[in-house]
Amino acid sequence: MRKKVGLGSKKDLNADLNLTPFIDLLSTCVCFLLITAVWIEVGSVEIKQSHGTEAAASKKISYDLDVVYKNSTNLTLNLKRNGKRVKAFKVQGIDESSFQASLNDLIQKKVLNFRNKVISIATATVTPRTSVNYGSLVSTLDTLRKNNIINIGVLSANGR
Amino acid sequence: MRLNSSLVAADAFEKHLISRKRKSSWGKKAAVYALMLTSMVDMFSMLVVFLLQTFSTSPEILINKGLSLPDSLTSSEVKEAPVLALAKDGNIYLDQKLVGITAKVLKKPSELMNKLNLIKNDWAKVHSGQPFPGEINLQADKEISSTIVSQVMGILTTGEYSSIQLAVMGIR
Repeated sequence: MRKKVGLGSKKDLNADLNLTPFIDLLSTCVCFLLITAVWIEVGSVEIKQSHGTEAAASKKISYDLDVVYKNSTNLTLNLKRNGKRVKAFKVQGIDESSFQASLNDLIQKKVLNFRNKVISIATATVTPRTSVNYGSLVSTLDTLRKNNIINIGVLSANGR
Repeated sequence: MRLNSSLVAADAFEKHLISRKRKSSWGKKAAVYALMLTSMVDMFSMLVVFLLQTFSTSPEILINKGLSLPDSLTSSEVKEAPVLALAKDGNIYLDQKLVGITAKVLKKPSELMNKLNLIKNDWAKVHSGQPFPGEINLQADKEISSTIVSQVMGILTTGEYSSIQLAVMGIR
């Protein structure tokens, strides 16, 4: 603290900041936040396994998508309109990443832009295979969700 | 930081240290060092800011040991619900408790169904008059076959758990 010169016995105007409680508060904050910190972020992908959807119940023309796996890098997309197959698309890839890229490309260019008309997919059903691992299945679900196909169900294929 | 040897000291504590040094050791070199508080406070502040940024209030679920979840770009927040885990070693766990071997559970799902029904009944007791949401978190190792997961999903749907949340590792 510095005293003012030539002003008699006036009180000091400068005050020191007491750092001790400030450091205490910061240390407590750091401890609390370190304990409650989440380093691994677990998310979720929602699957609706209900039979029949609101879209199917209404009279609107709706498209559904059947995703049938043949193996981990080969699948068929069946585009259905009111329950009847309109068009089938085949997707193939050399490896997982190229397969997912071509699936994404096909959905964007040919499925969602079917016969030069923008359509929306009400529901998608994925039929897995034994040769396809769960990681690949989630990647496919991820690709569908990226293209705003949210109502997704997985068929319980019995060891095909 | 070595102490100033001049009369002008930065604060009262430093002043005290200088006077103590002078009293105790004439001619000896100073052995008292003051802690540099400014940089420590800076470091603490930065830590607090970083930890506050990474702070998350979303619910967390426990991941079973040795389970590697698949990655997803479109993941959403985890909901609080029972956790069914399919481990790579072939075991199936419900809320961290072993139910049995997956292959056997798939053939005879009565034990799993009973446990799921118990959870459902407990939920109905607490939330009387509300419809059961049928939410469940499903954790499965990314290496296991997708048909096993789909068959388990079939069992869950039969047990009125139709809103299945697949646990994934969120990539941002």
